[in-house]
Amino acid sequence: MLQTHLLRSLSTVNANEIAHFTRLSAEWWNERGEFSFLHKMNPVRMQFIREKLVETTYDELPEEAVNAKKVRILEGLDVLDIGCGGGLLSESLARLGAKTTGIDAAESNIAIAQHHASLDSRLPRNLTYRHTPAESLLQEPKRYDVVCSMEVLEHVDNPVMFLKTCAELLKPSGHLFLSTISRTPLSYFLTIFMAEKVLRKVADGTHTYSKFINPSELLDFFHEFRSPSTPQDAETQARPWISRLYDGQPTRKEAELRGMIYNPLSASWILAPRGAWGATECNYLFWVRKPAALGGEASEH
Amino acid sequence: MLSVHGASRVLSRPLHNTCLNYIRRFASTSREEFDVVIVGGGPVGLALATALGSKPELNKSLKIALVEAGDLSKVRDWSPSPAAFSNRVVSLTNASQTFLQNIDSWDHIEQERTTPIEEMQVWDGVSDARITFSTSELGLPTPAEGMARLTETLNLQRSLLHHLITTPSVEVIDQSRVQSISPDEISGAWPSVMLDTGRVLKARLLVGADGPNSPVRAFAKIPSYGWSYDTQAIVCTMEHPPKGPFLGPNTTAYQRFLPTGPIAFLPISATASSLVWSTKPSLATALKACEPPVLSRMINAAFRLPEVSIRYLNNRILEAHEAGTPITDEEIRSEILWREQSHSIDTTSAYSSATVATSASSGIPPLDAEMVPPVVTSIQSGSIASFPLRYNHTESYVGEGQGSRTVLVGDAAHTVHPLAGQGLNLGLGDVECLARCIHQTVLRGGDIGSYTALLPYTQERYVENHKIMSACDKLHKLYRVSSGPIVQLRSVGLEILNELDSIKAALMMTAGSVSRTDRPLSYSSDTRAAMFGAAAKGFEGMRMAGQVLEVVKGGLVGFVGNALRNAPTTRQR
Repeated sequence: MLQTHLLRSLSTVNANEIAHFTRLSAEWWNERGEFSFLHKMNPVRMQFIREKLVETTYDELPEEAVNAKKVRILEGLDVLDIGCGGGLLSESLARLGAKTTGIDAAESNIAIAQHHASLDSRLPRNLTYRHTPAESLLQEPKRYDVVCSMEVLEHVDNPVMFLKTCAELLKPSGHLFLSTISRTPLSYFLTIFMAEKVLRKVADGTHTYSKFINPSELLDFFHEFRSPSTPQDAETQARPWISRLYDGQPTRKEAELRGMIYNPLSASWILAPRGAWGATECNYLFWVRKPAALGGEASEH
Repeated sequence: MLSVHGASRVLSRPLHNTCLNYIRRFASTSREEFDVVIVGGGPVGLALATALGSKPELNKSLKIALVEAGDLSKVRDWSPSPAAFSNRVVSLTNASQTFLQNIDSWDHIEQERTTPIEEMQVWDGVSDARITFSTSELGLPTPAEGMARLTETLNLQRSLLHHLITTPSVEVIDQSRVQSISPDEISGAWPSVMLDTGRVLKARLLVGADGPNSPVRAFAKIPSYGWSYDTQAIVCTMEHPPKGPFLGPNTTAYQRFLPTGPIAFLPISATASSLVWSTKPSLATALKACEPPVLSRMINAAFRLPEVSIRYLNNRILEAHEAGTPITDEEIRSEILWREQSHSIDTTSAYSSATVATSASSGIPPLDAEMVPPVVTSIQSGSIASFPLRYNHTESYVGEGQGSRTVLVGDAAHTVHPLAGQGLNLGLGDVECLARCIHQTVLRGGDIGSYTALLPYTQERYVENHKIMSACDKLHKLYRVSSGPIVQLRSVGLEILNELDSIKAALMMTAGSVSRTDRPLSYSSDTRAAMFGAAAKGFEGMRMAGQVLEVVKGGLVGFVGNALRNAPTTRQR
């Protein structure tokens, strides 16, 4: 009790949410159980991360220097997975070569994640898990090339503070990947009414409608948001992370929204094409890039 | 609450983990870990290893082992004389050929030992209604390549093996029998394959390419359903004179649907062809026991004589076999000659086989020479064999629970009647899809042994295989009927039109040479194109249905008209 109290005062973690996921932690790696939707969603998230990293590399390097087919595309990068749960995404990130840190506010999740990772001896040694809220990492000097937080934003208490924390944990030119759910009648119908109440595919009480975040709200946040000033990147904070919105849409190099649509016939998720109509009405992925440090920004032009 | 917390804290303590890891490593010193262990060195298993090994970007990520009980060096060093052919041939559709080209194995195939099929003649054994289709009318992009290509299974296996030897990420472990497979006692997840050589292979993904009696399937407890056809297929390599100067090359496949089962003539060279004769087990035994010249005569007769005479000859063979006095070449010759005469088959006709001299092909061929295969003069020694036919389809291709991390491909998952020559093509289709699935999963950092990673494979292949398998099954059953309303319908021509069309369809379904290797598993821009394609096909289908309806209507009108016209005459009698 004391512990959760402490957590609440320090971070955006919601104690009830943690209790909920603690109950479910043993189920994380049952691919046909409570988390089957997440297991099936994982390849789509990874596809998005992969495509986006390849795309940004193509933008920065000459054509022939990019090997888009390379498996270990995250080789050498420091990657943080906030709210790693049982480690579904963390393991995938580590397999692509990332120096991965998975953190979760539920201790039992971390135990499950560590146990599962130890079963796969061919999983690279560059995967560590820590039981800590994201906010406490701000005290440490380490910053990350990629920060992922999948299906977490709709479970935190203070999304604004949470997003600021994620942003702060990135190196300049770092990538932030988020996935969450829109607050629309459709998303209520699909994720709460159908998935939790009618079909009972997802544990009842997993989602709270009022906590869902609309894509436009994320865009507006990063349209305003400037990295807090520190002496070394004082120059870069001049521009917000999304400098301009065109017809409500960001430019390809600054941010991107992609819908994820569940196809019940094939029991799989699909990554909707960029700008597909209505695709972000329910589950969606969001990518935004921290502005480069001074030297880096010059080379972008 | 406290104790749970305590326990998880202990579990997550790094020191404890290190200890656990140490113990684990110590306990498993003799175990080798592989990402993919393929059991079975047949064409399907070899193709999967080659497909996975041919992607350079996967080389560092996948460690692959292929386990085979037999001695693969015999396959590797197989070098037969140019005129001798193995009795097991396969028909590779254009889709299969494209796949083999994509995995760089096609170049290793000895092209001289392959033959394109440019034409197929299929006819009803009872009514003699016939359908002919040739590559030029199928609208294939490369008609000269044929609608399929026949070659010996060994030629294909050897080419795959030759390519595999140059692939560093694949270890071929032959002369090693799988003794047992057990779920790993420590992790409870990775299956261990115990070999009789003492080696133990731990597999992230265990692939059963081990044929109809798959040990991997038994381990994974995947139920399989099916039935035996009460049919044996006799195979052998037949020799015959080359086709005459006024006939095309030996590139026509023939298949006659007899009530005992279909008999097929599959060309492999100018003077040699392969036989697949499906018939009753008792008859198969009797035919195999005959002198080879008697079998040649029976093959010739089975393609030529009316069904009633074949039934008589079959009984003759059976009786002689049961009496212990096998029929002699001279006896069968005179029987056939007599039947030909009583059916008033002219000795110069292609339908006559008893009196044909082997040199006859040098002259002007008879008018109906294209209707039947060349006259078989001899059978290559040692090439006669037979095997039982079964229909089998497993309930799933992916194991679950104790059998998780297993997947089945090829005959381990499905066996099919050989009448459309689709068995191996279905297997290669499985391999192509599974390799694509594994590739996608590796690129996305997934665990290739997980249920989620393998799900798209089952989804894509199960229905695809089932379609073709049941088409072949229905055809076999339809043509086993020798009397009654079904034959009447067949002979009226309605069912002929429909059902023979479905052979065509079964062949056509995989005949396309469009590569599927690069097809993405998920939504992308070409989904739209595919949707337009599907819509266009749907429209085409509707148009076709309209045409069929017209024909049926026409047929029925003619049928009724005939019946009415006949009615008064019968009454007059």
